[in-house]
Amino acid sequence: MTFKEALESGKFVVTAEIGPPKGTDISETIHHMELLKGKVDAVNVTDNQSAVMRVNSLSICKIALDHGLEPILQMTCRDRNRIALQSDLLGANVLGIHNVLCMTGDHVSAGDHKGAKPVYDIESVQLLKIVDALNNGRDMMGNELKGATNFFQGAVVTPEANPVEPQLIKFEKKVKAGARFFQTQAIYDIEKFKEFMGFARRFPVKVLAGFVVLKSAGMANFLNKFVPGIKVPQELIDELKAAGKEKALDTGLNITARHIRQLKEEKICDGVHIMAIGMEDKVPIIMERAGLL
Amino acid sequence: MIITKQKDRDKLMECIKKHDKFFLIGCSECATLCGTGSPEALDEMEEFLKGQGKTVTGKLVPKTGCQTLGTKIELKKDKEACDAADAIIVMSCGAGTQSATEIFPDKPVYPANDSLFLGNMTRFQMFDERCSLCGECVIGMTAGICPITNCPKGLLNGPCGGMSDGNCEVSPDIPCAWVRIYERQKRLDNIEEMKETIEAKDWSKGQKPGRLYAKKQKEETKG
Repeated sequence: MTFKEALESGKFVVTAEIGPPKGTDISETIHHMELLKGKVDAVNVTDNQSAVMRVNSLSICKIALDHGLEPILQMTCRDRNRIALQSDLLGANVLGIHNVLCMTGDHVSAGDHKGAKPVYDIESVQLLKIVDALNNGRDMMGNELKGATNFFQGAVVTPEANPVEPQLIKFEKKVKAGARFFQTQAIYDIEKFKEFMGFARRFPVKVLAGFVVLKSAGMANFLNKFVPGIKVPQELIDELKAAGKEKALDTGLNITARHIRQLKEEKICDGVHIMAIGMEDKVPIIMERAGLL
Repeated sequence: MIITKQKDRDKLMECIKKHDKFFLIGCSECATLCGTGSPEALDEMEEFLKGQGKTVTGKLVPKTGCQTLGTKIELKKDKEACDAADAIIVMSCGAGTQSATEIFPDKPVYPANDSLFLGNMTRFQMFDERCSLCGECVIGMTAGICPITNCPKGLLNGPCGGMSDGNCEVSPDIPCAWVRIYERQKRLDNIEEMKETIEAKDWSKGQKPGRLYAKKQKEETKG
């Protein structure tokens, strides 16, 4: 069953994330793929995340495909103009990649090439429209394609943005532009997420809640302070603190598993997206504790 | 106006090291408001150059440095001083500097300033960028606030995920352009307009080098 079929069947889906390496040694990447194979429904492959130059998403998507994983190509508008984006989309499709996640992309000032010229020729809403056009056999200018793409296209949303209203307006635009599924920024407050889902459920799209495992109280404070759109509630920070240094990570895994279990049992959303960020080996543990394996 | 700042003096000296005698040109418009091309700025530059063992043969603050013909006419009275100079130093924007390039075909021309952006003076000698000269204005759709200029990503359809408490991911000193647009649309009771998708921009409208013959265009519009 493909990622799209899984979502459409009503199965509670799980996606994970693969961050391409900086350099040509892909042994660790392949090791992570082996860990996730047969457990998750699809893997997102990030696109020069945090504007740090790495192997491109497209190549690692193809390698994931060859290793029996279904890839979701993350595509940002930071580094390519509309010609390059469309060309890469066609290229991805002919390589057998059928899922794409359209995003704006972190600004170059966050990364390791701060003097780079940011492109942003188009942005996420317009990119979704482009994917829709390609799926209908036309490029964005209306020129006919010899063979249409068959992408299942998604987008991102930050449910805990402050203020949230402009984010929700953009969510609506993304739905109208053709987004079929959404993966969210990391969430930690299930009650607040339920409020967001109350809004999102008015639209015919699937929503996967984003998770980043808390390794320690320090990490939670760091996320609160430096990562836009992430709010870790104080009670979770206290829980991590109480666990002590030795058991903090284990507690973080339990928190994630507990939240995922609740989302599934209460049918709050359609699945989860686990961003392990270097702890890919922990994904199966989380899934097991959440009752998903 | 065009916002300029004075170049680092070491860099300027590196550029002009092979010349000894200079004529200085400022500008009474933007560069004077920025304090980079005013009569006082030219005096100060003259003192600096003298201190470096150089000679200043003359100086002029033309009315509008980027008005090439007008500046050429104003410079007529300084012909001798200009002839005596090995090179011209221009203390205005890049456009004013290139007026001098056209006026002096046989003399090297050096900019003393860096041109930064098109912006507004919000307080005395405090400047904020407002316009990117993109060739086709969008602010009629964005509550009169330019997202191409005020958002570091130039996004046309709402804030990115990097917005935090109303500020930009690039710097907390930058208010998120799309939160500003949202607040203003709300105030104008115009939130529905924010739900309209703005199509991909036609960047060919701003293709370089720009050229406009306003008189001809006016005649064509009439016709």
